[in-house]
Amino acid sequence: MRAPSLAAIVVVLIAGGLFVLVAIGAGSGGAPKPVTSAVPPAPSVSANGFALTSTAIDLPDDAATYPAGPHVDVVNQRCLSCHSASMALTQPRLTAAQWQATVEKMRDTYKAPIGPGEVPLIVEYLTAQQAAQSGAQQAAPQETKPQPAG
Amino acid sequence: MDRLDFNEARAVTRRRLLAAGIAGGGAMLAARALGADVDLRLPGGPSKRAMTSDFPQKGAMILQRTRPALLETPMEVFQQSLYTPNDRFFVRWHWGDLPTSIDVETYRIRVGGHVERPLSISLAQLLRMPRIELAAVNQCSGNSRGLFEPRVPGAQWGHGAMGNAKWMGVPLRHVLDLAGVRGGATAVRVGGMDKPLVAGAADFEKSLALDHARDGEVMLAFAMNGEQLPLLNGFPVRLIVPGWFSTYWMKTLDTIEVLAGPDDNYWMAKAYKIPTTPHANVAPGSKDFPTTPINRMIPRSWITSVADGATYGYDPVLPIEGIAMGGDVGVARVDISATGGRTWEPAALGREDDRYGFRRFTARVNVPRPGRVKVMARCTNTRGETQPMEANWNPGGYMRNCVEPVIVRLG
Repeated sequence: MRAPSLAAIVVVLIAGGLFVLVAIGAGSGGAPKPVTSAVPPAPSVSANGFALTSTAIDLPDDAATYPAGPHVDVVNQRCLSCHSASMALTQPRLTAAQWQATVEKMRDTYKAPIGPGEVPLIVEYLTAQQAAQSGAQQAAPQETKPQPAG
Repeated sequence: MDRLDFNEARAVTRRRLLAAGIAGGGAMLAARALGADVDLRLPGGPSKRAMTSDFPQKGAMILQRTRPALLETPMEVFQQSLYTPNDRFFVRWHWGDLPTSIDVETYRIRVGGHVERPLSISLAQLLRMPRIELAAVNQCSGNSRGLFEPRVPGAQWGHGAMGNAKWMGVPLRHVLDLAGVRGGATAVRVGGMDKPLVAGAADFEKSLALDHARDGEVMLAFAMNGEQLPLLNGFPVRLIVPGWFSTYWMKTLDTIEVLAGPDDNYWMAKAYKIPTTPHANVAPGSKDFPTTPINRMIPRSWITSVADGATYGYDPVLPIEGIAMGGDVGVARVDISATGGRTWEPAALGREDDRYGFRRFTARVNVPRPGRVKVMARCTNTRGETQPMEANWNPGGYMRNCVEPVIVRLG
């Protein structure tokens, strides 16, 4: 095997130096460094012309809590276990009886960690919150409503 | 009583992320429980939602709920493409502990229950089995629930809890035949990887009658519009039940269980039940009526070229485009009315790839003078079922299929 020529060594050194500079530049840029180049390709299986590649995802977190209101601490404690606050906050105006049935369903069927005596507190919050929302909407400038069909 | 508070729920999610080796980079959504980027025009509100592009493998979607994810497809996507792009396809999960990492080498589909030979099928094996491909609409049972009047609780969808894709996979019948269904079997139950965050809650499972499961079209799909599925849409394998509502289309499917009796699991016996009346319609407020598990879809159509409530420049001819579906059979015709339903004119229909997919329709509506015009589309399927003018009502908010008028102002 022939010893590498001086020129070849210089080329390798220059290329290596450039790589280091590029790496430093990328590292100081503030942008997230693409990790895919450093990681071996994800495992895949294939047959008959179709491949499936292993996949991992990172789901967004949801830091939103319930807006202030009576017993909001109980609501945040119990109603964020399984779902985002938006689930309750996007519901249409429901009666106290409808909220009662919903909260009991969450407890009995979906096993929400709602303790004895907490159902009325949560129902009170949800009905008060919707009343406050409704009041705020009436105080705000009227939106253009869709015309009745006809 | 099992106690689980918010922090514990997040810790469970975090442990899953750690197990997947991807913790630490969790994108934090801004604290916005209610956004205002899009108005779904839900009667009585709240009607406004944020748009989000924060979900992996998904583009701009209407944010209904972050956790567990409920993402709605904006209507303009249906105007842009007859097939819904994978990254715009709606997302719906029941339980908070949903899978975030899939290893294609170790993934197995277990087939058991009332069979001769229980199986554990790898994805490599699945890819070597006989394939079919067909176009089919995947529509949530509660699509358009937010438009019910009186309103009903539940996910408050507009019309975008649906999508149309070409699905490729292995007929469920093939897998059942490999396992050898034993005499006396009645149904096939499927389950996926998502699990409740709370102890004691019912795992999400659904079942189909054995004959339905063996119809040769119900399939274990590994491809959606020619690509592997986004994880949020069920990668690596999702059950496709052409013509039936999405609740049966099990995502991240990993168990198939042949039953020799009725499925008394909560998700079949109690949830997703509809009145047995035509159009699943009962008087508002009704409670005690016979019910049956929701099943096949029925015809629907949407005008997508103009937006309800919008204003456009006046032109005596208003071009109309939209999408229609027949339900569990094909689209026979779509008719258009700009006279409040007094007169109807047939729309031109685009190509039909499969009877279960969307069908494009086009029409031209004469508008004699500037002002307000109400345009309606009405689909009739090949079974002769036509969309009704009146909306149905049931407490679950299921099976809406009435004519959906679009009112625009010209000039």
